[in-house]
Amino acid sequence: MDIATRGSLRTRLEGLVILLVAGGYLWETFDIPDFYQLPDTPGPKTFPELLGLVFAFMGLWLLVSPADIMARIRAKGAGVAASVPPAAPAQESLLARLGIDGYFVALWVVVLAYLWFMPDVGFPVATFVLLFAFTWLLGEKRLHILFGLSLGVTAVVFFGFKYGLNVRLPLGVLDLLAS
Amino acid sequence: MFEHLLNGFAVALLPLNLLIALCGCLVGTLIGVLPGLGPTATLAMLIPLVFSMPPATALILLTSVYYGSMYGGSTTSILVNIPGESASVITTIDGHKMAMQGRAGPALAVAAIGSFIAGTFSVLMLTFVGAPIARYALLFGPAEFFALMVFGLCTVASLTGTNVTKSIISTCLGLMIATIGIDLVSGAARFTFGNPFLQDGVDFVVVAIGMFALTEVVITAREVHEGTRAQIVKAGKVWISWSEFLYSLPAILRGTVFGFVIGMLPGAGATLSTFIAYNLEKRVCRHPERLGTGDIRGVANPESANNAASGASLVPLLTLGLPGGGATAVMLGALMMLDITPGPLMFEKHGAIVWTLIASMYVGNTLLLLLNWPLVNVFARVMRIPAMYLMPTVLVISTIGVWSLSYSAVDLVLTGAAGLLGYYMRVNKYPVEPLILGLILGGRLEQAYRQALIISKGSNMIFLEKPISLVLLICAVLFLFLPMLLKRSKQYKAVAETAEAA
Repeated sequence: MDIATRGSLRTRLEGLVILLVAGGYLWETFDIPDFYQLPDTPGPKTFPELLGLVFAFMGLWLLVSPADIMARIRAKGAGVAASVPPAAPAQESLLARLGIDGYFVALWVVVLAYLWFMPDVGFPVATFVLLFAFTWLLGEKRLHILFGLSLGVTAVVFFGFKYGLNVRLPLGVLDLLAS
Repeated sequence: MFEHLLNGFAVALLPLNLLIALCGCLVGTLIGVLPGLGPTATLAMLIPLVFSMPPATALILLTSVYYGSMYGGSTTSILVNIPGESASVITTIDGHKMAMQGRAGPALAVAAIGSFIAGTFSVLMLTFVGAPIARYALLFGPAEFFALMVFGLCTVASLTGTNVTKSIISTCLGLMIATIGIDLVSGAARFTFGNPFLQDGVDFVVVAIGMFALTEVVITAREVHEGTRAQIVKAGKVWISWSEFLYSLPAILRGTVFGFVIGMLPGAGATLSTFIAYNLEKRVCRHPERLGTGDIRGVANPESANNAASGASLVPLLTLGLPGGGATAVMLGALMMLDITPGPLMFEKHGAIVWTLIASMYVGNTLLLLLNWPLVNVFARVMRIPAMYLMPTVLVISTIGVWSLSYSAVDLVLTGAAGLLGYYMRVNKYPVEPLILGLILGGRLEQAYRQALIISKGSNMIFLEKPISLVLLICAVLFLFLPMLLKRSKQYKAVAETAEAA
């Protein structure tokens, strides 16, 4: 599969996803209750319905890709077959083609785990672990630097925001230990 | 009038008030630098403090913090590609590229100078022609506001990306996210899936931090790991040169005028003015292909528009009692707590306070420029911190920005989801800016749409019958389809190629 075909296939897949999202959005719009709606006045459904339809149309546009079809018809009419010579079949996996590798997954897992667990684990512990893991992933392998930096930044940010700006940061497990 | 203004200066220049203005500018700048804590949040934090102050001093504190935080928001946009608040989103386009090229100092300096010029212009306008021109804002009914917002969205959608279809999809997605939550007119819950935390809707900060901060952190981390990160050029000079200033001056002046005109419309706000001003700049300036590649005008123009709009939003606030945006709404609340009701009789009833406020705005603007002279040097040094230490810290501070909104775990989960979506969008060239603007304007756009339809008893013809609305809608359609019409123009091709490369 050459690059152009791959790009066009991806565009069509995006179109399909957008169409499905628009379908789900419009379906959900039917569940919106109409309270005290006066006749001839727009209710809470009017604007979402309009948006859902525009979004669905854009998805359909990508799915059909009329410009792409026109270009192929024109190319066929001009007697030009695929101008790009067929490339040697790529040996890379689907994940590699999408740019997804172990390092990429590790980065997102660390970020998303921090966002997910921070309220329960508590800001100080979660932030220390995040800083340690993320800085390590970024290439800093010296343990004393990792430890000192993570502890220092956690302490400065925690005390600065909690006592300087009155932001309520969760203590999480530290609160349990204290009690 | 001059006598009143001089009296105002006499109060504003009292040592205590001068000190309060200086502290306000400094605190506003430092808090404005933190992602997620924009002018509205900063002002809201200060409300309990102003109770114990005399009204004039309290107003001086509020305005200086307002100005400071508006300026501070641009700093993170330039240094780490994360907008401190919604009005700085557009500054990221050229500002961060300048910082990567070792020109963080001139970028921060032109933001400070542009803010000073625009701020002073808007105060001058407020002083001399504030009341008469505020009345033109009354010509804008719901239909006109709807058309104005559609115009704003179309200009952004047509120029932030190279593919109009992708820009429209991005805008629609932003508008769709904005429909989540309780409908303010009927009270019906929409797209909340039974989750009470979604009833208040999705705050723009949640999505913006996900799409800008999280994706930036991950992309930078990956580049550092793979060794493909562009080397940050060592900063040559910290302050802006005379030739750079002259080069960016027309952009500053255009940004100032557009920012003031749009910012004065209640509800339009500084954000919309920066988007429209930047896109108009791309249309009218010389060498538009340079914008988007780290051009100093790309910082000067939106930053001037942003500050002109901040000053302009005080015009309808003081003369009509209508707040122009979130921050001015908080200021309105603070004024009313001080027993000052803004409105057409404000100048007659509370003349001394109003003139002190206007005088303090001149003083605040000047102090902000003087303060930023040394601060530019300090902030520019942030670029020297290695990415492996800076990025995790940025991630932590951004997370606090989201957490402090409503202390909700749902917001953090949504930020993560927005981050993943933003990463996909950035990699596949879907512009993120239209989504953010759609999310910011969505609520107001729907409100204006429904109000207009209620007035017209359900007829959509109202948008074509009102002359201002009709002109704005025609301009919106023209802007949206202009790329197709201009496809053969050499200038457009150059712009498209630059945008593609960027």
